[in-house]
Amino acid sequence: MGVESMKILAVTSCPTGIAHTYMAAEAILDAAKAKGHEAKVETRGSVGVENELTEDEIKKADAIIVAADTDVPMDRFAGKKVIQVSVGDAIKDAAGLIEKALKAPIYGNSGDAFDEVQKIKAQRAQERKGAYKHLMNGVSFMIPFVVAGGIAIAISFIFGYDASNNEGTLPAYLMAIGGGSAFALMVPILAGYIAYSIADRPGLAPGMVGGMIANTMGAGFLGGIIAGFLAGYIALAIKKYIKLPKTLQGIMPVLVIPVLGVISTGLILFYVVGAPVAAINAAMNNFLANLQGTNAVILGIVLGAMMAFDMGGPVNKAAYAFATGTLTAAAGAGSTVMAAVMAAGMVPPLGLALATVLFKDKFTPAEKEAGKAAWVLGISFITEGAIPFAAADPLRVIPSIMVGSAVTGALSMLMGCTLSVPHGGIFVTFAVTNILGYVIALAAGTVVTAFAIGFLKKSE
Amino acid sequence: MLINKNLIALNLDSRTKEETIRKMAQMAADEGKVENIEEYVKTVLRREEEFSTAVGFGVAIPHGKTDAVKEPLLAFAKVNNIEWDAPDGKPVSMVFLIGVPESQAGTEHLKILANISRRLMKQEFRDSISNAKTEEDILKVLDEI
Repeated sequence: MGVESMKILAVTSCPTGIAHTYMAAEAILDAAKAKGHEAKVETRGSVGVENELTEDEIKKADAIIVAADTDVPMDRFAGKKVIQVSVGDAIKDAAGLIEKALKAPIYGNSGDAFDEVQKIKAQRAQERKGAYKHLMNGVSFMIPFVVAGGIAIAISFIFGYDASNNEGTLPAYLMAIGGGSAFALMVPILAGYIAYSIADRPGLAPGMVGGMIANTMGAGFLGGIIAGFLAGYIALAIKKYIKLPKTLQGIMPVLVIPVLGVISTGLILFYVVGAPVAAINAAMNNFLANLQGTNAVILGIVLGAMMAFDMGGPVNKAAYAFATGTLTAAAGAGSTVMAAVMAAGMVPPLGLALATVLFKDKFTPAEKEAGKAAWVLGISFITEGAIPFAAADPLRVIPSIMVGSAVTGALSMLMGCTLSVPHGGIFVTFAVTNILGYVIALAAGTVVTAFAIGFLKKSE
Repeated sequence: MLINKNLIALNLDSRTKEETIRKMAQMAADEGKVENIEEYVKTVLRREEEFSTAVGFGVAIPHGKTDAVKEPLLAFAKVNNIEWDAPDGKPVSMVFLIGVPESQAGTEHLKILANISRRLMKQEFRDSISNAKTEEDILKVLDEI
């Protein structure tokens, strides 16, 4: 196995700047040459800066060693593999440092772990294709409706379960806002934006109307999804196959597609698809309502593992969409599935954050920074906060978070915790029933994940 | 001149690193290079505490940057196996003492010192110094670029 020639850059700087600075430089140059690599070392001694690294050289570098006991400008190295050591380390073992640098983490990435997670989320959203993309488009537009509606309903329940029955009171209005309006729009929006993703604007009207019909027929969340895809592809087909002369093109989006699209979608739903889907929906809701004991726990384990498996990716989103769907059926009441899924989704970042605190010597400084961000991301139910850790060490991190999330999912189901809103993490605890059990479930999974990782990881 | 015959001791009699540094600082003061020995020695020892200046292979390069130094200086001494907390654990037999004023008028001397520091990392340089028998030999090795 031959070693390819790498470009190694270094910066050396010691406080007095007379001797160690240059000895370290020499050591690195010699070690690089012995390994067949190219090297250039910028020295920052009392003479001043010599051999300053150029932007071009940095861009082409494979790894960078900063052997300094004084401050060295570091921003120029963002995006490259960098190790920072003391001058003495370079003199002692320059060869070892070169090897370490070639495996180093990228500098500057964890400067702001929040930004990195945002970047990953945006990247993933862009990369989605096909049916998954369409579905996720619908779900993401739907979420604010469910969150706002759910919280409004939850607040009204604070006044008492039946308080909303008193007309003209605050709880009554809140219930009307949440249950009557926001929740009523949930499924139409879902269907509408699925169709929008497929067919663009022309899909919106058929999709939303289709969703409304699905609601009326009792086909619920599932019906909304089917209506959305149906409307979307119908609108697409109309756009493609119905060709009008150029002068009449204008009426396509405003007359032809809406009329044909809405009516055909609606009729298909009423005559063909609606009833069977409504039956399936009812059966599923029945099943979930009667779920208890071992079966509930098993579901909790499965959903928990799914939430952690790809931390915001397709599997996680499938579990999440399923959970949100159970909320539409619950119409304001909580759902055990939703509770289990949210708690399980909070565990990966929280467990990793705890691990960076308990097992400091097993994480790099960059990871410890990401750990701090992970606390906040975890309590906000942003599972993606675990991604930086998983990317660096998937074989150890992913099983650990899956186990922890599965534990949390199981415990949450076991204790019958319910949640009536689809997002919010720690900020929606008032929408949780059996909050004590919920906290226990969360804590258990977090601790399990932290210790699993601590056990599996070796010291840095 | 950075270094001359009087700044070279081919057989310095000392037992500890502090003693070595003091004796070599005295040599420098006698040559008029150092104004305030105490100040200079203190600076060198402080640097020594931060990180041992022994670089392995039996070589140490204690140094200090302070205005107690009038002119940049380089002193050399061969000593008899002194413990110097070297990274390779070996005792030191060759000591280069360096001193530069805090506010330097020119960088020439610094460049020379930097050069010597670099060369110390090379085996053949160390061997030439080790094998040198007289002060003249040492001066010759140091001057060879």
